Amino acid sequence: MSATGSSNPEYVNARVRSRRAALFAEEDYRKLVRMGTGEIARYMEETEYETEMNDLGARHSGVDLIEFALNRNLAKHFEDLLEWADGQLHALIANYLRKFDAWNAKTAIRGVYSGAGADDIEGDFIRAGEFDDRLLNALANAGSIEEIVELLDGTIFEEGLGAAFEEFDEAGVLVPLENAIDKTFYEHLLDDVNTITLSQNSPKGLYVEVLQAEIDFRNIRNALRLSRTGTDLDPEEYYIEGGKLFKQGQLRQLVGSFDDLVEYIRESPYGEDLSAGLAELESAESLSTFEMALDAALLEYSDTLSHSHPISICSALSYILAKEREIENVRAIARGREVGLSVEEIEAELVVI
Amino acid sequence: MIEALSVVLSQAQAPTGSPALEPQAAAAIAVGLAAIATGYAQRGIGSAAVGAVAEDSDNLVSGLIFTAIPETLIIIAFVTIFIVG
Repeated sequence: MSATGSSNPEYVNARVRSRRAALFAEEDYRKLVRMGTGEIARYMEETEYETEMNDLGARHSGVDLIEFALNRNLAKHFEDLLEWADGQLHALIANYLRKFDAWNAKTAIRGVYSGAGADDIEGDFIRAGEFDDRLLNALANAGSIEEIVELLDGTIFEEGLGAAFEEFDEAGVLVPLENAIDKTFYEHLLDDVNTITLSQNSPKGLYVEVLQAEIDFRNIRNALRLSRTGTDLDPEEYYIEGGKLFKQGQLRQLVGSFDDLVEYIRESPYGEDLSAGLAELESAESLSTFEMALDAALLEYSDTLSHSHPISICSALSYILAKEREIENVRAIARGREVGLSVEEIEAELVVI
Repeated sequence: MIEALSVVLSQAQAPTGSPALEPQAAAAIAVGLAAIATGYAQRGIGSAAVGAVAEDSDNLVSGLIFTAIPETLIIIAFVTIFIVG
């Protein structure tokens, strides 16, 4: 409701757990990967997504319908979360949901860059963050990327965007802009929390631990990608502060050698959770299996924390992660079926725990 | 609780050699503290129960039962009155 008053983790925990239980389970996915897009839409109509499906069914069809319904459902659930939570809990959840502000900002930039219409851009927004409808509307209707950068003045994203825009102006690629937005989001995650004096076992300490794991995984992912492609980009530009695994300046040296990097990750505290993925990484050609393993490890980690500390933000956090994953899974299935991928290929893209 | 305190205060002012806290007064404090504890326990359980019922009204019965469980604290504390009295 608001960021004043005391937290109400008991209430939020009870509601979130009930919704967590309603998410698609493994057998749902097993059914979904064997369906066509029409069948998936009908299946979703009988679940959680009924309202969205009915609302949008008249205007859209096929994969678009599924995708819009997924986005709208996601926004609805996360808005509910903010509505229930009070006090510090609210502030922390709101901080985390800025992820969707980052998503929306990137969507607008990409949309304008590729010349998509305002309606199309607006359809892809996920209205779960801090940006209000007016700002989102203005973003979708912006005529140029410069205008978007100006609109984002006054939000948390302004700091990195100025420099990134100059770079974009010179090179004409979107990477610096998107990178600046992601970086700002992750670096603001730990805003309200003093990580140094915090006890590791307090609920807040655990929250920080999940976030640090997320930042670390993001850094691992970026580092592995850079290392595998062997580009001469400066890895420090992609480094996100706040994690535990890498220190500033360390990445440049590690990215140079792929084997060293894998070895470094294996010896880190995450090594055990990721060992299966790492073994596959050394033998396989593609990074995607390992990236799936990273996602699954983060999900499992946040789940464990939410079970051992129910009266904390951890359950809300693990719900947000799981819900997001569900949306991505269903989207992957629908898109995969549309282009005619085989069941095995789609299953390889799913993260189910 | 307030009654108990006033008893304690009047006892403290009494010049006679009786104890500072009469058994009844002690029992009253015990019941009062137990009531506070019950309330505190029900605060958490109650809000969780309301959350669960809001999601699914089938949870109403178990929610009520769990909310009522801390009542045992105050009921047991109530016994002290009869023991003392």
